[in-house]
Amino acid sequence: MTSPSLKRSLACLWWVLMAFLYLPLAVVVLFSFNSINSSALFESFSLRWYERLWGNEQIMASLGHSLVLAIISSVTAVVIGTLMGYGLYRHRARRLGWLIVLIYLPIVMPDIVFGISNMTFFVRISSLTGWLSPGLGTMVLSHVTFQIPFVALIVYSRFVGLDATLFDAAKDLYASPFDRARHFIVPSIKPALVSAFFLSFTLSIDDFVISFFTAGPESSTLPIYIWGAIRKGVTPEINAIASLMIAAVAVAAVISLAFTRSKGSDASR
Amino acid sequence: MSKRPFERSVRQLRFRETRHLLLTTLPGAFWIVLFLVLPSLYLVSMAFLTNGTYGQPSLPLTFDAFRQLAGFGFLGWSPGNLYTLLRSLWQTVVATALVVVIAYPIAYYITLCRQSLRPIMLLLVVVPSWTNQVIRAFGWMNLLAPDTPLSNLAQSLGLIAPHMGLFPSSFAVTLGLIYNFLPFMVLPLYAAFEKLDTTLVEAARDLYASPLKAFWVAVFPQTLPGLLAGIVLVAVPAFGMYVVPELLGGGRSLMIGNLVASQFAGGSNWPYGAAASLLMLVATLLGIFLLRRLGRRAGGGEEVVI
Repeated sequence: MTSPSLKRSLACLWWVLMAFLYLPLAVVVLFSFNSINSSALFESFSLRWYERLWGNEQIMASLGHSLVLAIISSVTAVVIGTLMGYGLYRHRARRLGWLIVLIYLPIVMPDIVFGISNMTFFVRISSLTGWLSPGLGTMVLSHVTFQIPFVALIVYSRFVGLDATLFDAAKDLYASPFDRARHFIVPSIKPALVSAFFLSFTLSIDDFVISFFTAGPESSTLPIYIWGAIRKGVTPEINAIASLMIAAVAVAAVISLAFTRSKGSDASR
Repeated sequence: MSKRPFERSVRQLRFRETRHLLLTTLPGAFWIVLFLVLPSLYLVSMAFLTNGTYGQPSLPLTFDAFRQLAGFGFLGWSPGNLYTLLRSLWQTVVATALVVVIAYPIAYYITLCRQSLRPIMLLLVVVPSWTNQVIRAFGWMNLLAPDTPLSNLAQSLGLIAPHMGLFPSSFAVTLGLIYNFLPFMVLPLYAAFEKLDTTLVEAARDLYASPLKAFWVAVFPQTLPGLLAGIVLVAVPAFGMYVVPELLGGGRSLMIGNLVASQFAGGSNWPYGAAASLLMLVATLLGIFLLRRLGRRAGGGEEVVI
């Protein structure tokens, strides 16, 4: 049906797109090995920016904040979101319109409005009560808010994929709800729990805008540090730390490819 | 007269079901209400307050912030904010249109390739969007800066003035938006193309339809649900974009998200910023509502994601 010439020009377009998608990242990686502090002229290969990374306490502290924030918020969101996904599934026959609206709200809310509403709210609460002053704590609260919907939707769709009669069988088999959860529900949605955790983790690590507005002076994450360095124009190590983050994404991509290969399912998240 | 035991047990069951629903969904619902709905209401209410002496919102209730947003200041009316709003809309429309034009052939090309290659190709399209958006914008800053190959090429073609870079500019902002959101259009379009009924296309070609006509009558209607889903995923976040205009636009190509942020950071006029946020929220919800209605009419039904 498709003529060979059309297919050839489509293939051309594909390679142009690949260049477009990967060139900006390649430039960052290339200049991270530059021996001089320039992003226009490549002089010679050197690892000096990577060596300077380890000595930069601010970068190391921001990396720590990013990881702590991502892990704590993801674990919290998986617990709360899984409960919610299960509730949505068990009671799907009821009209849950208000709940659906509530779940989609964090997804459709513009990041900037989300971040600023949280900032003003936390600032107000802390000036009234002394609690919730901006810092890692408030960032965890905000991150969990945008992670819950994704966890709930992933878990919900996994439940929908299960055979509904299994639930009746489990009810006959295990008397207490706790036993049912431990021996039937959790094991059967394990893949969904794993992917919900990793998606939450990625969302948290990737987030800049919401973190930027809810962060305190001592809790900047890696993207916030990079943002500040770019704005101030002092960026020698930025290429190096950015390259390491790109490398982490590449590793994640390979793992996810291996995962989909072994399961033979589709690659769309 | 006492209730029959049967009725009592039905009521008991209903009570237990409701309790189960509340126990499972209430923690999450409560979390979202407490940390998103209440803060948003607080922010929106701030739009109706007066800007105090120290940039803090205070009573009395006024519409001053909205007047300011419409462009009325101390020196009479100025079109600055209107331009920002129009620029945001324009950038969103242009970037979305270009993303559609690029994503259609790409999504189609992926379906032409071998089954075993397709997951890898989709992954290759998606992977750049997994890197942090600040880093992606930084990459473009490096690529488009003055005295880089691309900027020199544009100079020799006479597109930009000598010793200027392609960045900062509104062109760089459009490019950044396309770069950010392209995958969100390719994925739903690919899903639509994969299910495409090709016999319709063949029938159109057999009836001597031109390729363009065949696309219009046989392909476009079938991929419309995917397209609309893609537009929701691209246009809505593009309209509220903060990072790309801030880094790649360089002060002259700001969008409404930057207007909001500047009132809370440097400008410190919270009611004014809150009024702009309210405008953004209304525009976003309106956009989603309109696209959903369009999707229903096109018969998309469940495929329109949001």
